[in-house]
Amino acid sequence: MSDILTVRNARKSYGAVKALRGADLSVAAGEVHALCGDNGAGKSTLIKLVSGVERPDEGDIHVRGEKVRLANPHDALAAGIATIHQDLGLAPRMMIYQNIFMGSELERRVLGIKVLDRAAMIARSQDFLISLNSVMRDMTAKVENLSGGQRQAVAICRALRWKAEIIIMDEPTAALGVRETEEVMKLIRRLKENGVTVILISHNMHDVVAVADRVTILRGGRTETSLSTDGLTSQALSERIMGGA
Amino acid sequence: MRDFIAKYGTALAGLLVFVFLLVFARNFASSANLLNVLKQTSFLAILATGFTFALLTSELDLSFANLASLAAVVTGGLIAGGTFWALAVVAGLAVATLGGLVNGFLVTGVKVPSLIATLGTAAIANGLTFMITGGVAFVGRWDPMFLALARGELFGIPVLVVVMAAVVLIAWFVTRKTRLGTHMLATGEAQEAAHRAGIATRRMKLIGLTLSGFAAGIAAVLLVANLSSASPQMAGDYLLNGIAAVLLGMTMFEPGRPNIAGTFVGALIISMLANGLVLLGAPYYLQDIMLGVIVIASVSVSASVLKKAAFSV
Repeated sequence: MSDILTVRNARKSYGAVKALRGADLSVAAGEVHALCGDNGAGKSTLIKLVSGVERPDEGDIHVRGEKVRLANPHDALAAGIATIHQDLGLAPRMMIYQNIFMGSELERRVLGIKVLDRAAMIARSQDFLISLNSVMRDMTAKVENLSGGQRQAVAICRALRWKAEIIIMDEPTAALGVRETEEVMKLIRRLKENGVTVILISHNMHDVVAVADRVTILRGGRTETSLSTDGLTSQALSERIMGGA
Repeated sequence: MRDFIAKYGTALAGLLVFVFLLVFARNFASSANLLNVLKQTSFLAILATGFTFALLTSELDLSFANLASLAAVVTGGLIAGGTFWALAVVAGLAVATLGGLVNGFLVTGVKVPSLIATLGTAAIANGLTFMITGGVAFVGRWDPMFLALARGELFGIPVLVVVMAAVVLIAWFVTRKTRLGTHMLATGEAQEAAHRAGIATRRMKLIGLTLSGFAAGIAAVLLVANLSSASPQMAGDYLLNGIAAVLLGMTMFEPGRPNIAGTFVGALIISMLANGLVLLGAPYYLQDIMLGVIVIASVSVSASVLKKAAFSV
């Protein structure tokens, strides 16, 4: 598979603190790629660069082989990269379809006036969720009434609505129970089946080994290694992250 | 059932009050009095509709009543000075809208909390009304066309009521059926999420506060035309009434959220209660006590809804 996203020699400092000291990342199209490392390893900073939240002091980002300049999250979205933050970025008291189409609502004309096309948004939301094998019947249900896994599904649907080809998921299973975590794992697998590239940031090694194809380990702001998860155990991965062989 | 009561409980209580006043308040049921209630509701509903827009984006506007007073004396002063009434109306609307725009700029540009910013503009507007009038009301025999804005009829319906209906319906349409309304709602509900979704949240707040000023201008023009006079603080009493109407509105239809239908019914209930208390011979101060109770009770109910939402996320 060809790389859909590459980051080369990324450096980023915040005052005297060097968060990234030359990090590399290569993500193949259609794979689930985990980004692991201890606290302060540079995962969050690297993701901020890729999602357009921060700009690198040095280094290049290529998407589909072309060098891109991601000055803000909108540039990243335009390049097909959507980030689902840990807080999911949802409006809990708004409806499912309103969250999925937030900021890019569908409209139709009535007597020359543009009005919201609620029916189309509900139908499309249902389609997005079906594509994820997620069962939610009432698109007018409020997000606050959904389970953690269902909320992840809504956040993913919004990313799909933006036509994202690369979805970055930041700690998607943090604070979720066992059943909800399994729901999220299924969603990630389903995204992969649909050809979407997923970058997963997680402290949970079981999740990483269970769902990722490859993993990049960061340490001290540098890329330590990038390896396949074939035959890798969570124990072995933990040891690699902590600096073992 | 619980959902039904949460959504429609306040409106049903309002209906019960209406029936109570029909039975026990002498003259309440007369067509002249009911029309009077509707007319009184007009000013309040228009002002409160504007405030609803500001609150929808999660910003307060404590200046709308004083901006209305300022717009009223500008309109009245210009007409009294011989300016063509239509120009004076435009000037009144412009002054109030500009006041709202200044509020919006202070909140989104200078980052002053809306509570403080609008308190400041309210004080400035109040000062300006006294500067313009010298403390004396503008009165006179004004153009009947201008007075017809509030006292005229359109197909047998008072123009005041027609204007109120138009303002409320347009506001309802904007908030419920358009992208702008959804973006304002998203801004108020989850600003960070809305911003990340590409919504111009600062612009939404600016629009919300500006619309609040614009609505104050409309109410001001109607007040002046209705009374054929313009005096400082002529809309001052509408501050607490307007806030009460919006907060009462937040306890119905979409509990915990400012909504135009709720605001309208809230304004109707408050005007009806004010009218009913007078007809029942209640002491004048009871109205203020009632408003205070409504404000506190409404916020308590809305707060419990909001708290529930916060805990469940």
